[in-house]
Amino acid sequence: MRPVLEIRDYALDYVTQGGTQRVLQAIDLAITAGEVVGLVGESGSGKTSLAWAIMRYLPANAREAPAGRIRLGDTDLRAASAKALETIRGRRMSMVFQDPSTALNPTLTIGRQVTEVLVRHRGLSEREAWREAIQALEHVDLRQPEALMRRYPHQASGGEKQRIGIATAFACRPELIIFDEPTTALDVITGARILELFRRLREETGVAALYISHDLALVSRVADRVAILEKGAIVEEAPSATIFRHPLHDYTRRLVAAVPRPERRLVSDQVADDALLSATNIAVRYQRKRLFRPTPRPATANIAIDVRRGEILGVVGESGSGKSSIARALTGLADYTGRIALAGRRIDSAGDMDRGYRRAVQIVFQHPDSSLNPRQTVADILSRPLRLYGGDVSTIPSLLEEVRLPAAYAKRYPHQLSGGEKQRVAIARAFAARPDLIICDEITAPLDVSVQASVVELLLRLRAANGTAYMFITHDLNLVQQVAHRIAVMRNGEIVDLFGIEDLRSGNVHPYTRELIAASPAPVG
Amino acid sequence: MSIVWLLRRLLTVLYTLLVVSIVVFGLTQLLPADAAVTLLGENATPEALAAVRLRLGLNDPAWLQYWHWLSGLLRGDFGTSMRTDQPVGPTMFIALSRSLLLGGLSIAVMLVIAIPLGMLAALRRGKAADVVSGLVSYLGVSLPEFVTATLLLIVVADHFQLLPATGYVAPSENLADSIRHLILPVATVSLILVAHVSRMVRSETIDVLNSDYIRAARLKGLPPHTVLMRHVLRNALLPTITIVALDVGYLLGGIIVVEEIFAIPGIGRQLIVAITTRDLPSIQAGAMIMAGTYAIANTLADMAYAMIDKRIRYD
Amino acid sequence: MTDTLRRLMRTPQGALGSVLLVALVLACVLGGAAAPYQPEAMDFAGRFAAPGVKHWFGADQLGRDVLSRLLVGARSTIPLAVAATFSGAAIGACVGTLSAYLGGWWDEAITRTIDAVMAVPHLLLALILVSTLGKGSLNAAFAISISVVPSMARVTRSVALAVRQQEYVKAAIARGESGSWIVLREMLPNVAAPVIIEATIRVAFAVMLFATLSFLGLGAQPPASEWGLMVSEARRFMHQAPWVIVAPSLAIAATAICFNLLGDGLRDALNPRDER
Repeated sequence: MRPVLEIRDYALDYVTQGGTQRVLQAIDLAITAGEVVGLVGESGSGKTSLAWAIMRYLPANAREAPAGRIRLGDTDLRAASAKALETIRGRRMSMVFQDPSTALNPTLTIGRQVTEVLVRHRGLSEREAWREAIQALEHVDLRQPEALMRRYPHQASGGEKQRIGIATAFACRPELIIFDEPTTALDVITGARILELFRRLREETGVAALYISHDLALVSRVADRVAILEKGAIVEEAPSATIFRHPLHDYTRRLVAAVPRPERRLVSDQVADDALLSATNIAVRYQRKRLFRPTPRPATANIAIDVRRGEILGVVGESGSGKSSIARALTGLADYTGRIALAGRRIDSAGDMDRGYRRAVQIVFQHPDSSLNPRQTVADILSRPLRLYGGDVSTIPSLLEEVRLPAAYAKRYPHQLSGGEKQRVAIARAFAARPDLIICDEITAPLDVSVQASVVELLLRLRAANGTAYMFITHDLNLVQQVAHRIAVMRNGEIVDLFGIEDLRSGNVHPYTRELIAASPAPVG
Repeated sequence: MSIVWLLRRLLTVLYTLLVVSIVVFGLTQLLPADAAVTLLGENATPEALAAVRLRLGLNDPAWLQYWHWLSGLLRGDFGTSMRTDQPVGPTMFIALSRSLLLGGLSIAVMLVIAIPLGMLAALRRGKAADVVSGLVSYLGVSLPEFVTATLLLIVVADHFQLLPATGYVAPSENLADSIRHLILPVATVSLILVAHVSRMVRSETIDVLNSDYIRAARLKGLPPHTVLMRHVLRNALLPTITIVALDVGYLLGGIIVVEEIFAIPGIGRQLIVAITTRDLPSIQAGAMIMAGTYAIANTLADMAYAMIDKRIRYD
Repeated sequence: MTDTLRRLMRTPQGALGSVLLVALVLACVLGGAAAPYQPEAMDFAGRFAAPGVKHWFGADQLGRDVLSRLLVGARSTIPLAVAATFSGAAIGACVGTLSAYLGGWWDEAITRTIDAVMAVPHLLLALILVSTLGKGSLNAAFAISISVVPSMARVTRSVALAVRQQEYVKAAIARGESGSWIVLREMLPNVAAPVIIEATIRVAFAVMLFATLSFLGLGAQPPASEWGLMVSEARRFMHQAPWVIVAPSLAIAATAICFNLLGDGLRDALNPRDER
């Protein structure tokens, strides 16, 4: 049977100021009707470029090799004219995008953006299209679709917007749908529900799908087959059931090894019940009361949290749960009410945080791009904490070595480093003060999974050498189960659960915690 | 729109007008050590100086002088011209109406030209049309109004004798003649505005064209003209309102010069005359009216923008 | 510094702008010394001479060589405008940064007041100031300097606010760095670049504003050969000698274009990320 999508020997280059970059090479891929093929790659692997190539929406500096072929059913997509493509897109093949907030036009109603596909491709009148659209939205489990149609995108939540995107993609019963990381921009639980929706629709419609993601664990759960993309080439292709158990290619093996598996503990020691930092009644408030505006809600309710000496405390929660606010309060970056005690000494407000406190409590931020001053060299950046806390500037090379960076990097500027390297510098900066506690605020979130694994390994090694405690804030449930001694779960500014890792095994946890864990795709196999 | 939101906007406008009045009054009456000497000159007789001081209330403490002036304004009394001995208010407002005509026409012409021009440049980015319009805009922004006006005068009115050089005819008197006299002034003012606004429209449109939602619309298979008309237009035009509001400031500056060169009896001309003849009440009134018009125009634009952009509505 | 210069010359705008700038600086510095004729030398026989070999830009109503007057006029037109812009920009930058750093109620009060002052268009503000202080180049320059402050304060504030949100500033606060360190060493280098670019472009406006004031008789006074003044004086004779108007107009335009180009070029040159 003819495959729905067939790519043969396809190669793609981008022409940039720095020269010609080969983005994809010798791509062979086929998807038959009713099949879901996952495409897994890290950043820079070219997976999104492949999606654009299929949809024939490449940037102006793209150069395709003459030989390669892309066929949708009987149609040669590369030979299709612009007008032909306009009838194919949206009708025979469609796409669900990564960020639902930016994929919808903010100045048009939701209804308009759904009906326009129906009017365009199925020749429906406006009224018929409106009714069909309402049904389509109902079908993706959106409540009160008539009201939703009249609203604007900013009035819908992220999950709702993605469902709308999916409904739009399915509306004209296409042969192929490309899903470009549809859950990356969503919360874990919302994302899990979207995946359920996807499975249901796929069973009902039998559509062929290409599911692109960086998350191998997730893809192995939704796809029939998985193709691994490394630097523009498909290095392995296998049924999803076996790819985790028997990875053949080197790169796949590394990828599989890097995926956090909750059952594989990376930390095996026990920690004494010796309180290092304890905070009680912490409420963080961001905005002052302004004239004529309602009092803003506090970011956190009254929270009590403590970190023991040398332990790793995991703090998990969805976005908006308040976990970053805690971090900011503890480092004096946000106003708070309440009491903090560090090794017995009382800190009542940010003003009380003296040099001793600052040295003992350090923080590493989420975005490596903005946490290093672009106009300072690595040496400048590292010398500051050394100067402030009585370290010696000559130790910079050894600091760099500790985080596995070459000493020559000291002269470099941040924009000359990769994301993972920048994060290492940030970690080195935190360790330069020889602190007792480091707060890691979602530091691995923007990193590729293999880079994440190496950063985690680095953190654990440094802890083993220095005895530092970590407050490890993350939304990755699987990762936190690998490294934490205790885990705090936050929702809507409150800590709903706090337990030791053993309690997790015995199932002695809050229902919300169970829900979160169920929603985090652990790898199959 | 909520009452609170309207109230906040109203308070902002009032605060702005208050600050403007303080700036205008402070700089004209309170700043000089002796305003009487500034007005009459060093060689004035002591009696003349005393008379002026009495007439303008310059012997009162500063805040009292300000209060007299402000309360007069609020009552509608803009003072009496030192030059003509006539009440300043009516003259100024008639002059303002003429300036508004000139300004209004200029903005209209500018919108009709600049928006399509900017969008075209964005759509044909990097190609001939874009580069040429870019160069012309660059030039337009680098020529002060008096240069453009004078050059237009030389070429059109003087050399080719196509249009009258100076003067103003009210539309109610003779529409055709009125238009003929207004063409060059409007062209001068609009030129700079077009140069400025078309670049802004271009850059806004480019941002919109590169956005994810336009890409999503294209990938839904919508034909280019639908994408342009339905999706691009509104998003590119919305910020234009803000830009136009800011440009009213350029407009007012340009109007002063243009009215001077083309001898149009608008408020700008009145202001120049007042400055040259050192007619303090007229200077104050003229400046206050001009700045007040700008502040109000800005607020109206702000409100128009907010009404259209639903996101801001719930601010 | 040299690094920035090199990057500036690599962009077409930066290169062209720099060339123009050098030409203008030479004109200002050499002034009359580079002129072919004495700028005041009147030649009644050669009145209204058209541009030609003898007078490259023609001669005016008194037979004075236009080119010579232009070259001398550079000194009257440009340096004051530049000084006015940068002094106003410096003050505005301080106000803006302070407002951003203070935040809260102070920030709101300062911003609203700046917005209100900006309701008075630049030319109007300058006119009011000149009407009080009296005519003259210095007063005009002072007026321009004052009019630059609010807009520069606004720009600086928004840049400073954006920088303040960056995590490296938060990292510095978390480290317990002093306020002055944060402002001077962490924020300022990142705020300085956009502000310098903005100030450079404002010079173009300042030159045009200065010329406009002189044109209206309120800036430079005769017999100075300031370019705006030259246009104003030549208006009476535009039938006979249009080149007397065109030449200074082109000079003003060239100056404004020069600084606009420099601003654009600096925008690319000062961006740390573009290095490959």
